[in-house]
Amino acid sequence: MSRASNPLPKPEYAYGAARPAGSTYLMGGCGIAGVMALDGSTISGNRIGSMLRTMGERENGLGAGYACYGLFPQHLDEYCFQVFFDDEEIKKRVEEFFKDYLEIHHAEKVYSRPVQTMTPPFPKIWRYFVTPKPGKDWFGNTQLAQDDFIIQVVMHVNSTMNGAQIVSSGKNMAVFKGNGYSYEIADFYDISRYSGNLWISHSRFPTNSPAWWAGAHPMSVLDWGVCHNGEITSYGVNKKLVEMNGYKCTVQTDTEVVSYIWDLLVRKHKLPIQAAAFAMAPWTHEEIATLDPDSRKLATWLRIAYREAFLNGPFSILVGRSQPEITLIALADRKKLRPMLVGKSPDDRLAFCASEECAVRTVQPDAITWTCNAGSPFIAQVGKGIIRAGIEHPFQGAKQ
Amino acid sequence: MSEKTDRPKRMETRLPEKFMPTINYNTCVQCKRCVNECSFQAIDVRDNKVVPKGGCVACGRCIAVCPTSAIEIRPLPSQFPPHGNWTERMRRGIYAQANSGGVLLSSCGTDEPYDVIFEDILLDAAQVTNPSIDPLREPVETRTYLGGRPGRIEVCEGEHMKLCGGEGPIIEMDMPIMLGHVSLGSVSYNTQKALFMAAKELNIIAGSGEGGLHEDFYVYADHICSEVASGRFGVNASYLKNTAAVEIKVGQGAKPGLGGHLPGEKVTKLISETRMIPLGTDALSPYPHHDIYSIEDLQQLISVLKEATEYGRPVGVKIAAVHNVGAIASGIVRAGADFITIDGFKGGTGSAPRVIRDNAGLPIEVAIAVVDKRLTDEGLRNRVTIAAGGGIRCSADMIKAIALGADIAMVSTAAMIAMGCRVCQQCHRGLCPWGIATQREDLMARLDPEQAAARVVRLFRAWNEELREVIGGMGIDSVESLVGNRDRLRYMGPNPKIAEVMGLKTVGEGWG
Repeated sequence: MSRASNPLPKPEYAYGAARPAGSTYLMGGCGIAGVMALDGSTISGNRIGSMLRTMGERENGLGAGYACYGLFPQHLDEYCFQVFFDDEEIKKRVEEFFKDYLEIHHAEKVYSRPVQTMTPPFPKIWRYFVTPKPGKDWFGNTQLAQDDFIIQVVMHVNSTMNGAQIVSSGKNMAVFKGNGYSYEIADFYDISRYSGNLWISHSRFPTNSPAWWAGAHPMSVLDWGVCHNGEITSYGVNKKLVEMNGYKCTVQTDTEVVSYIWDLLVRKHKLPIQAAAFAMAPWTHEEIATLDPDSRKLATWLRIAYREAFLNGPFSILVGRSQPEITLIALADRKKLRPMLVGKSPDDRLAFCASEECAVRTVQPDAITWTCNAGSPFIAQVGKGIIRAGIEHPFQGAKQ
Repeated sequence: MSEKTDRPKRMETRLPEKFMPTINYNTCVQCKRCVNECSFQAIDVRDNKVVPKGGCVACGRCIAVCPTSAIEIRPLPSQFPPHGNWTERMRRGIYAQANSGGVLLSSCGTDEPYDVIFEDILLDAAQVTNPSIDPLREPVETRTYLGGRPGRIEVCEGEHMKLCGGEGPIIEMDMPIMLGHVSLGSVSYNTQKALFMAAKELNIIAGSGEGGLHEDFYVYADHICSEVASGRFGVNASYLKNTAAVEIKVGQGAKPGLGGHLPGEKVTKLISETRMIPLGTDALSPYPHHDIYSIEDLQQLISVLKEATEYGRPVGVKIAAVHNVGAIASGIVRAGADFITIDGFKGGTGSAPRVIRDNAGLPIEVAIAVVDKRLTDEGLRNRVTIAAGGGIRCSADMIKAIALGADIAMVSTAAMIAMGCRVCQQCHRGLCPWGIATQREDLMARLDPEQAAARVVRLFRAWNEELREVIGGMGIDSVESLVGNRDRLRYMGPNPKIAEVMGLKTVGEGWG
């Protein structure tokens, strides 16, 4: 469907972000795709797999991954750890450590199967449903909330136990990722066996960091999952912010800090999602000067207080979370140096995000699509629909 | 024999000249302008002919005013027997002290040929994966804020989100440059006026120096950072409220550990009124603030100044870069300072004892990096603004200082040079022939504040443009994402330990 027939309102201050006429092909690096069932129904992994595979030019076999939300309704109050282990010995060490700090309600091997085109070694992948041990403090720190306690456990394992990586640690979600093409990773985990309310995914064309299983996207902490296409040139600055707040960067990619920044700004600092997105991809001072006085003040102080959260450089990111509601966020950098398309099915049942339109069309040929304004997030929630299309006033409609 | 003649005769050693003005009599028109302009009286008239007299400091004023370009200043070859250990500089120092018995003074920072670490650092540039940004076509922002930062803010939700807490006094500047503190007294009225005019035009901040603020300059209040030094000269409620920010000066890069001294002969009527001291008396700032002997004392003074300015202005602390600067900076933030100014070894526009100037302190490059790291490690870096100076000579130095961790580059000597200063290092004599560092009416009149301000404005606009080019070339579109972004630097110098202390990768090292 053409942009002219897009039924979404276009406010007078919105940018024109349509692709120029005649330009049909934009080369980029990395592919990202997401799909959400706005009505709370479930979506099979096959659908996200075909969306991502369609953008095959955006990957080179050095990493791909999927995160599924709404995956474990039977374990809603338990944190699901998906963990990579290099060998049995480290697995045993980590499990001993878990037993000291966590109640393990259930443990199981994550299903995987050999894929002929993938070269071993593959990590052993296990899943644990856990909760913090009652009355147990974290090395003398008794003030930690449950979520913060879990973060400390994850940081400790990932930074000190070589050969083990907790790749996801949220409630009602899990990350399936590895070193390979998107179709190989989908086959490896057989993602068709999983269904959830929201999927985000990523296929990788790495340039600055090593290609390793834990280095593939989505990057995740608690229930935050982030898929990213681009290069964060402010990485050194962003890293300072998260390290100042107790996060440890262990994965060697810039995307890791993005997931920590979302957790810090939204969960810990309680910023509305739009405000956090603005801090990460702010308007220019010249644009801020055109805002109404209240918004101008807020925008200015978001830039002053969260200077280190400003993600500079080219990026488009997909963010998923499951607490308190299953939410999909799509955000592109303020210069739109990386592609990001959003859309929905005509019956308002599904929401889509992808690097390229073909990814959406392949599963929903009649989808209504548009692009968000630079630095303006698209937000959708299960049960609430699309609550922000990405073309509104930056601080409008904050009620979640 | 009388008592008077019993006293041993004082033996003065006359030292050989270092510079010699040479005059081309084929072109000299004997206008004698050079004679009148040379405040050091190094040129004389003999037999109606202009001749060198001795005492030339190579200030270059004669060259600049000669209508026929008939003058050239030549450095004279050493007249001392050669010796690798007893250098000419060493011997001149000994002769001077044997003559005077005093502490040797000099101006304009150390002239010892220390390595400049800035020159051992290379900048990064964007290529394919991270595309560069052309500042002529895209916004590349250099706006910078001076003041305390809250670390977090509160946002109220509603139909439109609003800020509901966290903001404080903050100053908006168009570029990450601050004109350093030079006091009225050390420089002339016209010099200070030019600096304030430039700051206003550029929308940046200029330091008042420790000498109070002349009432004429209250019109520039929004662009002035006042200084509260140990001498408390000129400090009153009106002074504090007629500036945009207040800074407690604990130390300065040119003479870490020392106070300030303006000789009585420079304390003219104007200076005495501004500093609130008697005419002709020495203005001595003690080494320590006698009410600050600890971080807790500093905290009290910061609170007093915030109270006195009704919490309407950022209050900062200036320290010299010394070896434990990281821990000191941490204490300063914990004491409630909104900004810290670090003044490096090699800094200083005014006079300082040579022994201190040449031997005490820490290069600003290292000081910035260790302060930034320490504050980050302690979770405090997002509570404070850091201004750093003392050796920043060009936009490249400024950019590297920012990438090492400074929010703002503090610059003074470069601004003086833009006004005409030739760095002859004679400021302490009060004879500045360019009208910059003098209180002599006739010399002061040589500096037109408007023209001088225009030159400073052009210099820093050029630096800011170069900053935009460089960060755009790095693929960064706003300077705040350069602050402390050491990933964008690589060390190419001879000492890997320095790179380690500064947290820099060495050349050839990639990202991961």
